[in-house]
This record gives sequence, C-alpha cells and structure tokens, in this order.
Amino acid sequence: MLSQLIVGGLAIGSCYALISLAMVIIYKTSEVLNFSQGEMAMLATFVSFYLLADKGLPFWLAAILTLAFALLLGVVVEIVFLRTAKNPNVLGLIVITLGLEMILYGVAGWRWGPDQQAMPFPIGNTEIYTVGSVTFSRISLWVFSLALGLMAALGLFFKYTRLGVAMKATQQNHLAARIMGIRTKRILSFTWALSSLVGTVAGMLIASSYPLDVNMMMDPMMKAFAGGVLGGMVSLPGAAVGALSIGVIENLFGGYVSLEFKSVVAFAIIVLVLCVRPSGLFARHYVKKV
Amino acid sequence: MRRGVWIGIMILMLAVGGAGMALAADVRGVTDTEITIGQWGPQTGPAALWGAVARGTDLYFKMINEEGGINGRKIKYVLRDDGYNPAKTKAIAKEFVENIGVFAVVGGVGTGPGMAVRDYLTENKVPWVGPSTGSSHFTRPTNPYIFGVYPLYKDEAYLLTKYAYENKGKKIAFFYQNDDYGKEGLEGAEIALKELGGALVAKVSVEVPDTDLSSHALKLKESGADVVIMWLLPKHAAIILGESAKLGYKPQWISSNTLSDAPVMMNITKGLWAGVITSMFGDLPNEDTPLMKKYREAHQKMAASERWGSFYYAGIIWAEPLVESLKMAGKDVTTEKVLTSLETMNKWRGIGPPLTYTKDEHQGAKSVKISQVLENGDVKPLSDWLQITK
Amino acid sequence: MDMKRDYYEDIQMLPSAWEGFWFVVLLAALALFPLLGGNYYCYLANLIAINAIVAIGLNLLVGYTGQVSLGHAGFFAIGAYTSAMLYGKYGLSILIALPAAGFTAALFGFLLGLPCLRLEGPYLTIATMGFGMTVTQTIGHWSFLGGRMGINTPKLQILSWQLSKDTEIYYLIIAVAVLMTIGARNLVRTRVGRALVAIRDSDIAASTTGVNLTYYKTLAFAVSAFYTGVAGALFAPVLGFISPENFNLITSIVFLGMVVVGGLGSIFGSIAGAALMTILQIQLSAVQDLWLIGPLISSISTRWFNVGGMANVSNIIIGSIMVAIVIFEPMGINGLYLRSKRFFKSWPF
Repeated sequence: MLSQLIVGGLAIGSCYALISLAMVIIYKTSEVLNFSQGEMAMLATFVSFYLLADKGLPFWLAAILTLAFALLLGVVVEIVFLRTAKNPNVLGLIVITLGLEMILYGVAGWRWGPDQQAMPFPIGNTEIYTVGSVTFSRISLWVFSLALGLMAALGLFFKYTRLGVAMKATQQNHLAARIMGIRTKRILSFTWALSSLVGTVAGMLIASSYPLDVNMMMDPMMKAFAGGVLGGMVSLPGAAVGALSIGVIENLFGGYVSLEFKSVVAFAIIVLVLCVRPSGLFARHYVKKV
Repeated sequence: MRRGVWIGIMILMLAVGGAGMALAADVRGVTDTEITIGQWGPQTGPAALWGAVARGTDLYFKMINEEGGINGRKIKYVLRDDGYNPAKTKAIAKEFVENIGVFAVVGGVGTGPGMAVRDYLTENKVPWVGPSTGSSHFTRPTNPYIFGVYPLYKDEAYLLTKYAYENKGKKIAFFYQNDDYGKEGLEGAEIALKELGGALVAKVSVEVPDTDLSSHALKLKESGADVVIMWLLPKHAAIILGESAKLGYKPQWISSNTLSDAPVMMNITKGLWAGVITSMFGDLPNEDTPLMKKYREAHQKMAASERWGSFYYAGIIWAEPLVESLKMAGKDVTTEKVLTSLETMNKWRGIGPPLTYTKDEHQGAKSVKISQVLENGDVKPLSDWLQITK
Repeated sequence: MDMKRDYYEDIQMLPSAWEGFWFVVLLAALALFPLLGGNYYCYLANLIAINAIVAIGLNLLVGYTGQVSLGHAGFFAIGAYTSAMLYGKYGLSILIALPAAGFTAALFGFLLGLPCLRLEGPYLTIATMGFGMTVTQTIGHWSFLGGRMGINTPKLQILSWQLSKDTEIYYLIIAVAVLMTIGARNLVRTRVGRALVAIRDSDIAASTTGVNLTYYKTLAFAVSAFYTGVAGALFAPVLGFISPENFNLITSIVFLGMVVVGGLGSIFGSIAGAALMTILQIQLSAVQDLWLIGPLISSISTRWFNVGGMANVSNIIIGSIMVAIVIFEPMGINGLYLRSKRFFKSWPF
C-alpha cells in the first residue's frame, strides 16, 4: 500500500509540479502572482479538445496547434492586461490575474457549457503494468516522464540558451539587463508565453486522466501554488520538489490518516514550514534594505 | 462633499426601490392571463451540470403555453442562476416573493441552496413542488407547502443495496460524498444490509473539492468488495472509475440516480461506465411511452440545441404535478386549491415515479427504477418501479 | 478649499460644519429608507452594509497596512457561526453575540497574525488562503456546527422587540455599520492609523522610527478580523441559514475585489466597492433578462456559444470590471470620485 500511495502521489504531483513551474517562471521575472495560470491552461486544453473532437485532427497536430495557441495566449495576456496597467502595486497585479481568471473561466464556460467532456487521448487509462504489488498505469508513466522531461528541458534552457540566460538576467535586475542590450519588454512577453506553454502541458496531462470541464484546474492550481510556495516561489527545482512532495504527502495522509482532511493538509504543512522558513524551503530569505 | 455622493446614491436607490414595489394582487403571481412560476438552478460553477434541470422546465412550460396554457392562463417562467451558492439562492427567493411575485416555485437543484430558502418560502406560503434533491429535510416532517417528487436518497440507497445484495454480491462497499447527500445514502444502505444480515465491507468518503482520488481507489481495492455503491458528483464517479481501472480493480459499480445521465457518464469515463447499474427517478430517456414521445418531439422542435439527458427532462418531471394541480384547481386559482388538488393525487403518473400525496405525507415518490448501462451508452431496464414497503 | 492649515484639521472627525450637516442628512436618509424601499430592497441594503463592514475591515489590513489576505471568508465564517451558536443554540441576546463574534474572530486574527509577521507577497497570500480553507473544512466536519449541511438560524430578538422582517433587521445592521464606519475613520486618523500607513509604505523605516512592528501588524490582523467577524454575525440572521459553502475561497476573492475596486486605503471606497460588487452579483444572476444586451447575449449564445453556459457571461462582466478598474484607475472608485471632484472644482480650467 505504501509504495502504491507514493506512485499515485508522484503521478499527480508531477502535474502539480508543471503548473507550479509555470507560476514560478512568471513570479521570478515580474513578481506577478498569476492566479489565472490554471484557467489559461484550461482554456488551451479546451482548444485542443475542440481540435481533436470537433475538427477530428490527429493528436500530434492538435497538440502542436494547442501549444501554439498557448504561446499566443500568454503573449496576448501580457500585452493586453499587464503591460497596460499604469504602475500597479503587488495587490493590483493579484487582482488583475484574479479578474483575468474570471474572464477566462467565463469564456470557456460560455463556449463549452457545463457538461463534462472526455479528452480524446492516444493512451487509454486502462492499460496497466504490475511490478510486485505495485500497479503502474501506462498513462501515469507517460505523465510522469513527460513532466520530468519538460522540467529537465526547462533547466537546460535557462542554463545554456541565449534566450534563457537573457531571461535570467532580466529576473535578476531589470535595469542592468536593459543596459546590457536585452529587450526586457520582449523578454517579459516571452516569459508569459513560456509559462502558458508549460501550464498547458500540465492541463492536457490532467485532462488525460480526469474529466475535462471548466473547474478541472482549480484544485490542481491551488496545490501547485502551495507546492511552489513550499519550494520557495523563486527556485525552479524548489518548486518542482515542493509540488511533488505535496502530491506524495497528500496521498500518504489520505491513505494512513484521514481522507477527510486530505485536501487541507497541504496548507497546514505550508503554514508550519513558513513559520520556520518564511521564504520556503529552497529560497534564501533576504532581508530587505531601505 | 464626499457625503454629497453618498446621498446621491441613496436617492437613486430610493427611486429604484419605489419603482420596484409591486402592486398588491389578489393571489400573488396570478393575473387574468398569466401565472408566474420561478426556479433557481446552478447555471455556473461546479454544479452547473445540473443546471439543465431548470432549462428542461422551461421547455415544458413553453410546450404547455403553446398548447394554450392552463385554463386560459399562460405560464410566465422565471429562471435564476444561483451558482449553487446558498446566499445567492436566498437572494433569489426574496426576489421571487417580494419583487417579482411568484405563485409557486418548482424544482430548484441542491440540498444546501434549498435549505437556505425552505423556511423563508414556507413562511410566505409559496407552494414548492419537486425540490430537486432526495434529501429528507424537505418532506420530513411534512411541510404543508412542499411536495416531494424526487425519491429520497435513503429509500433509493435501501432499494439499490437490497438489489445488489440479492443479485450481485454480498461484499458491498459504499463510496460517498462527505455531506448530507452522501450520508443519507449511506444510512439507507446500512439499514438495508442490517435487515439482510450483512454489513458494509468499507465506507470511503470524498470531499467535494478533491480531484486526486488515487488513495480512495486504493482503499476500495484493499477492502476487496465485489460491489461498490457510489453516492457522488459525476466528476468524482468518473475519476474513481479511472483510478480503479489504473489499479486493475473492477467491481460491479452501482450508482444513485444523480449519475443517471448515461451518455455523459459514458463520455467522461471513456467507456468505463458500461455495465454500471444506476437507479432512475423517471422513465428511461429512450422509452416509448406516449408522454415521453411527446416531450421528445417538443424538445426537437423548440430546444434542439439542448441535450436530451436525464437531468434535462428531470425539469419536466418536477413540474408535471404542479401543472396537473393547476389544471385541477380550475379557473379561480388560489394557493389552497392547488395544495388540496395536489393532496388528492393517488398513484398519479407523468414520466416520473408514481406519486401519492395525502394531507400528512408529502413525499409523493417512494419508488425508483433500476437500470443498467449498455456498451453503446443506452440504458436497459432491470426492473419496473420498485416501491419501498413502508 | 481642501487646504489643511494646521495639524488638528488633519485629524478632525468632521472637518467642517457643512460636512456635519451632510452627515446628519445621510443618517436621516438611511433611517427613512425602509419606508420607501420595502422588504426586498432593505434586504439588498443589508447585504451591502454587511459587505461594506467586511470591506472596511479588510481595507484596514490591505489598504492601510499593506498585508494581503485571501482568507477573510474564514473570519466571516467564524463570526457567523459564533453568533449563530450563541443566540441560536444558547439563546443569548444578539447584543452579546455580536461583540462576542467580533472578539472571537479577532482572537483568530491575532493568532493568524503571529506566523504572518515574517511573511510577505505570495507566502502571506498562501498562508491566509490556507487559513480560510482550513476554517471551512473544519466547520464542514464538525457536526456540532451542523457540518456540511449548515444550520438554520432563528429569528432575532432584542429584548422584547422581534426582528422578523428585513426592514427591521435593517435598523440593527445600519446602526452597526455606521458605528463601525465611524470607528474605522477614527482609527485611521489617530496614532494607530498613521503607524499602519507607515508600515505599509516601508516597514523597516517604520520600525526605525519607533513603530512596534509586531504589535501593529498583529493589531491590524485582529482589528480587521474583528470587523469581518461582526459582519459575519450580522450575515447569519439576514440569510437565516449558514453553511460552509457560503464561506469558500470565492467569497474571499470577492472581498478582496471589493476593496481593490473600491479603492485601497479609503473608507468611502470600501463602501462603494462593496455596493458595486454586491449589486453586480445579484443583478447578473439572470443574464438573459438584462436590459438591452440580454437578447443579444441569448442570440450570440445560440449561434456561436453554448446556451447551457450562457450564465457564465456574468463572470466575464465582473472579471472585466475588476481588471479594467485596476488597469485604468488604480485608486478604484475612490480615485474616480477624487478625479471627478477635482475636475468640477477646477472647471472650467
């Protein structure tokens, strides 16, 4: 039972981890806490559903088009909603993303209605492998390895590509980056696009094993946010580890202690951790200077 | 200066308030040409799937109006979205009674929203036919203004459990949503098993916001049950079937009538729903009774963009007895006449369960149908109306 | 006209006799409202007043002290359940239950304030959000409090005076709301208020000038929770029924929306924001019946969108208003008001 619970926790935790990474990418660069991350992914996932189910496109083509849509959505959101705000404060930015969340939710709900849908996915969820007493489903393996692969790719991207380094530079110091000839505005748009892309992959993976509806990303996004905070919100590996451990801890708690309080245990842990380390496990707490 | 604006706002509100006051009529919501009937339903938010109920009622009333209305009066139907939020439901009920003036309320999805307005509607003497919930809080004890059309969850669980025990297997687990909806189902199942001399092998609960149910599935599997009875939201049912399939666990799934919309369930479970046994609160969607045919034709004609699912025509089932009693009440409709005509109904049937009301028993429906989902998404009946013997 | 000449003008409650006059007129208008408005509009006014109390309390924390909270639905729930238990189950007078609810919420606010001292930004957001969700989850599992199903709250009674209609509860609520508004105005113009603003602008600078951060930050949490708790205590009898579903994350988000839309750091803004959001939420429960645009939305729905999802237009409208106000008028409704006042004052120049 223990190993089975851990396997289940890792499968869902890797979806949390992707959303969490998406949020951290944006937060690191622009200090915007993006509450609409989940709904952006949800809308894009519905687009892929539309391409697959209504237009009958093959999966690979639909996936590429969806990811393109996700990139576009990220750029549009950044340009239309965030760039236009005149010197907003942190709270204003939070409210913009909350408002955006309602708008995206409304649009998807209006277009696709309240009925739950099933995302056509090339891998069925009934194919399973048994190793000892532990059962793996093929889809969970795919989810897990895709998520890991994407995380590794992100790590390499930030380390070795010019664009990635430019993004890191912008994160560390806007002004210095601009002086060094980096087009920081363009970098910001690109940050949103990248984050939207990562979130959308998570959305599609979640839709592969859960019913697709407008509410599907709410719970995962909260958990991902919790995971990101646990890891420190500014560290990519931290966010991934935080979100994965949220998935595992939740499952273990549900399996051994209480199913009833399974969904709040994440938040209790967060509060405890934050009492000891106010900036999360993996981020250095810096003391502000005046 | 600042207060000047406040006063402006207040004056504006006063003006709006004055204009909004309704003229007192003899019977609230009844004019010479119209009867106003209201319903709330979640058109947005997590329970929006059941919003179809309120829109199904709309179709039925449109159909009645097209046939010439009831004793010369047309039905004016007011539909409001409460998003399954009891605070909003309360606001809507107030609007119905004090601002719009409705004669009666029909349907209304949800136990929580319904409980928020139950006492208020009763105080204002609003007849309420067919609360769209099987909770016992509406007709136990008997409320003079509320008439239940929905079989109680407890009765339904009793009948289903008995059916399962006699036909499908003795090791039964119960998987339920952790609120009154689930708990009333659990209670019925436990009563049935106690009478039969058995006991549940596992009771597993799920919270409404949960998405990840892998540990729940594992608990069910560990219990070794042959039959799992579900009292859930559609979302959770779909997820638990998927998670169980991932674990290679395949018991006989049995579900309450809240998941009786087989095409939707087949779709969201990607076919895993085939073989599931559900109870039904009405005739099957493809049944060929004359009434059912008539409704299906009306649906094709007037609301073809809606899907003909069991929640959609549930909106018709809840409204049928109300319309019937309005017809019986004759030309001079009063609340008392409608209540007394409802109370004369004996084994009355539309497309729902047989309804019997008396002065002391307002829970009209005491029976469910049991059906099984086929591979192609159709349902086949396993029983006729099974009545609970009490 | 608005020039302040000495320090005492800055901290006066009512800067001029003229404002005093308007204040009295406002009170009279509020007192007469039930005679004209009738039961339903009084009910709306009650909801607005309750939300306004929450918004003022939240604004003290968010707008004046600069601490984010997405957990105020939790305090609202604590207030509502405390009063429902005290006057519903144990038969105490609402006049005792009301402050008791406020102080219970304040205690929780103090407790939440302690771990939040060191937190900021997303860390503070998640801690408060976790608090709110834990409160509702706990209530949902506590059968003493009615569990998930919620509890009915009985009719109010003050001594021998039955408050059964909304027009009667209205007087209680408006009286409390006016008192709380005056209290907040009083608080922000005193030493405490200035300390809070100093913390918002820079907590380190504030502490070097002698503001005790621990004391004032937890105080801000406690006071804010007190306001929200009192509002919750009034909410229970107005609704007549409370359940955990009334106090979910969406409620917290809407509260925060009221404060930001109304205007951070402004009491007038809090009231305006609360009124706007409350009315919008109620008005938009029937999108298809909206004046002028209702039929248009219906036809768009049938042609390109989904009829079943039509009610979601309300989310789009509310979301757009929230976004638009923050983008174009970061000071919220209060900012709009100030600008229009300036415009008329300096007109025609």
